[in-house]
Amino acid sequence: MGERLKQPEILPGTLDLLILRTLQSAAMHGYGIAQRLKQVSDDVLQVGESSLYPALQRLLLNGWVKAEWGASENNRRARYYTLTTAGRKQLAAEREEFARVIGAIHKVLEMA
Amino acid sequence: MSRSVCASAIRNWHRLVLVWRRGQLYRDLAEELEVHRSLKEREYELAGFPPENIVELAEREMGNITLAKEESRDMWRFLSLERLAQDVRYAVRMFARTPVFTSVAVLSLALGIGGNAAMFSLVNTLLIRPLPYFEPGRLVRIGGVYPRAALLFFQQHARTMDVAAVSPGSEFNLTGQGEAIRVVGSYASANFFSVLSAPVARGRSFEPGDDTPGRDGVVILSDALWKTKFGSDPSIVGRAILLNGVHREVVGIMPPSFSFLSSRVQAWVPMRLDPSNFLEYWASEFVPLVGRLRAGASTGQAQGEVQRLVAQFRGTFPYPMARDWNADAGAIPLQQDLMGDIRGRLIILLSAVCMVLLVACANIASLLLSRATTRRKEIALRAALGAGRARIARQLLTESVLLALVGGGSGILLGMVALSIFKSLLPPSTPGLAHASIDWQVVGAVAGLALLTGLGFGIAPALSASQTSLTEAIKTGSQRSTATIWNRFRTWLIAGEIALTVILVVSAGLLIKSLYSLSTAKTGFNPGRILTIRISPNQSACAQRAACVAVYDRIVERARSLSGVVDAAVINSIPLDGELPMLAVDVEDHPKDAAHPSPMFWFGAISPAYLRVMHIPLLRGRAFSRSDGEKAARVLMISESTGRHFWPGQNPIGKHIKSADERQWRTVVGVVGDVRQYSLSKALPAWVPGAVYMPYAQSARQDGQIPAAMTLLVKTAVDSAHLEKEILKLARDQNPNVPVGPVRQLDQIVSGSISDFRSTIRVFITFAGAALLLAAIGIYGLMSYWVTQRTYEIGVRVAIGASRQRVVSAVLAQGLRVSLWGIAGGVLAALAVTRFLASLLYGIGATDPFTFAVVTAFVLGVAVAATTFPAWRAARIDPAKSLRVD
Repeated sequence: MGERLKQPEILPGTLDLLILRTLQSAAMHGYGIAQRLKQVSDDVLQVGESSLYPALQRLLLNGWVKAEWGASENNRRARYYTLTTAGRKQLAAEREEFARVIGAIHKVLEMA
Repeated sequence: MSRSVCASAIRNWHRLVLVWRRGQLYRDLAEELEVHRSLKEREYELAGFPPENIVELAEREMGNITLAKEESRDMWRFLSLERLAQDVRYAVRMFARTPVFTSVAVLSLALGIGGNAAMFSLVNTLLIRPLPYFEPGRLVRIGGVYPRAALLFFQQHARTMDVAAVSPGSEFNLTGQGEAIRVVGSYASANFFSVLSAPVARGRSFEPGDDTPGRDGVVILSDALWKTKFGSDPSIVGRAILLNGVHREVVGIMPPSFSFLSSRVQAWVPMRLDPSNFLEYWASEFVPLVGRLRAGASTGQAQGEVQRLVAQFRGTFPYPMARDWNADAGAIPLQQDLMGDIRGRLIILLSAVCMVLLVACANIASLLLSRATTRRKEIALRAALGAGRARIARQLLTESVLLALVGGGSGILLGMVALSIFKSLLPPSTPGLAHASIDWQVVGAVAGLALLTGLGFGIAPALSASQTSLTEAIKTGSQRSTATIWNRFRTWLIAGEIALTVILVVSAGLLIKSLYSLSTAKTGFNPGRILTIRISPNQSACAQRAACVAVYDRIVERARSLSGVVDAAVINSIPLDGELPMLAVDVEDHPKDAAHPSPMFWFGAISPAYLRVMHIPLLRGRAFSRSDGEKAARVLMISESTGRHFWPGQNPIGKHIKSADERQWRTVVGVVGDVRQYSLSKALPAWVPGAVYMPYAQSARQDGQIPAAMTLLVKTAVDSAHLEKEILKLARDQNPNVPVGPVRQLDQIVSGSISDFRSTIRVFITFAGAALLLAAIGIYGLMSYWVTQRTYEIGVRVAIGASRQRVVSAVLAQGLRVSLWGIAGGVLAALAVTRFLASLLYGIGATDPFTFAVVTAFVLGVAVAATTFPAWRAARIDPAKSLRVD
């Protein structure tokens, strides 16, 4: 375990938001989501499977995403997640909240 | 807030919907993760990693897949519920594996909760719950009893309250409604029901004026009498019934819920206020007064006023009254007064059952304490395997709650049974007794206490195990882990338990000895093989003295002629049946004055054979004979103590006594042995200094009339049931309009007179026994645990040469030390508290050294017996085995 490279921590509580945002444009499977996050964030955000899949289950349970089996790019079966209406609402709410908190933090950091 | 509630509802809904598809979900997840891995592998492949490293790399990168799976799966489960079920299953398994512990704990809980629930419910109903009258807190009882004249006086002069009077109830003949019966009726002042604010169910209440002579021919019936005797016929209101040969119009019926002073009373007639009737107005029956405080008045003010008014009223008597008559009368809350007799007994039983609860709690605490300490290893192991403290606490909590639920459940069942037993032990006429039922608040409070005990002592020591060094706890193991604080605490618990038990058992011992003294007390007569029957004609039947004398002569003669009858006699009142006929008398050599008014004597009117039938010894002079008739010289007999009291050192034969209202003296011709007329513990109440017997033909009550209602006593040769029927027939034959009571055996009346006392003692003994059992279990548990803990040490000792005897005596000494501390504490405490039992004791001091010694020895014996088994087990410890255990 100790050999593993230390990955940058994702801000606690933001993983759900990031996953929801990733799914906003298109349906994706778990691997795709992880890749996409890594890519867009220039390798800064690396999501481990051990947190990704529980998070996906949580989103499913809350009814914010739904999952369907489909064919992946290499013609294998893969499970695609899509945002539900409730999920869109949740994403909007969480983005707003996040922006507010970040703005506040920023203000504090930039104070004279 | 509402948002999160809503979200959680959605989550649970999804969980619920997917319960049966869980397998599918898990498979999906597994496949999904597999896909993920293959994609990852492909990624490495494309990146140009050597193929032999790819699998390993992907594996590593994927991290702890199992954990991810676990966590994801957990998302879909009703975790808390499923964990609870798991905890419960585990707890049940634990309990099943230790059946002795489980049954003892459940039994302790059940005894403690059950006994207390029943006792507290009863006390709450009888002593604490307000009386079922309007604003019961404002009702007071004026101390003492008063002639009718006092009612008017108090009504006119009292400022703090409205005063009413009601007699405790006497028997009336109800005739003309089928078979003649005796009913209990009270004389009530016209304002009685309005002072109580008790409305009638039908008809009208008494009105002002109902108490004036000539207009008092009315009666109000109780619901019970109306139902049983008049078949709930509503048209009875307005009709007349015959009570004691007098027509009275039924004006009202009370609701079923109403009873006063006790549910014995079946009818109320107006208390006639007729100053011209000297005897009735001033002398014949003294009655209790009750009052309702007026707005703004306090009990304290009423108290002062009563004392003032009593002093004023005392001076208005037309005959000399003692200067200290009712001097200590006050105003006490009615409820307190009504429960007078029962109060003391209930409080004693309540204290006893509280002690049992304490003993039970101590036992549970000690049991759980030892269990928790022996589980330290298990707990430490669980902690080492990754169980959080919260998880462990939850497991222990589940066990305690489960135990409390089972114990509490059986406790409530036990309480219901106990309550019905307690109820059957109290006089059935006790107001409110029928309404006593298990009080759930009480059950909750008691169960809560027991539960808290369990939680406190079951969890704290166990948790302290997970706190201390895990490795230490696991290494040393259960056998030698000594949690000294808890152990010492446990020893104190058991010693305290033994002390409480000693108090209870000493008290029980004192009570048992009292009961024994009472049941063997000299009654002064021989009640064996005597049948009695009450014959109660209206007083008007005896207007002609000779007629009544002849009737009873005939009855006695006919009874004598029955085969199997040895002898027969009549008396106006048999001993120990609750009635005490009284007569104010003048005694020769004892002139009365204001300081020494006429003494009240018990008064018996007997046929000549009475002494013979009852085996009452004639000590001096002569007994009555047939020649002591109506016209003969007037004679009487006195009891031995009467003679001693009034003429100490003199021969009372030839002295004179007369009823206070008579002119002519009666001559003492005989002295007979004392008889327990009043109760088995007392010949007569303290205020009755003497007892006189008159020949029936010459006898006179205070009003000069011969007693009409008499009891026939028949001495039989053998115990014969057929005689009962014949005697009943004989009594009925005289006149169908004369009510006759059931045939009763005199020895049963005698033993019945202490049945309340006996049953109180039985309950008390049950409590003491329960405490003793619990304490024995407690000390047994303590010593077993002690031995288990020291198995290793004892093994070492035996190995280096200690004899079995030494081992046994070491254990016994340890047990004895705890027991002796407990017993010493208990004896000291008992010396301090047994005096509260004094009202129940008879023929024995509250600190009777013999009882104390016997009980101490007994409890010590039980303690030693309880220690013997663990000691025996200690002696059988095989050093070869015990040393190899760890």
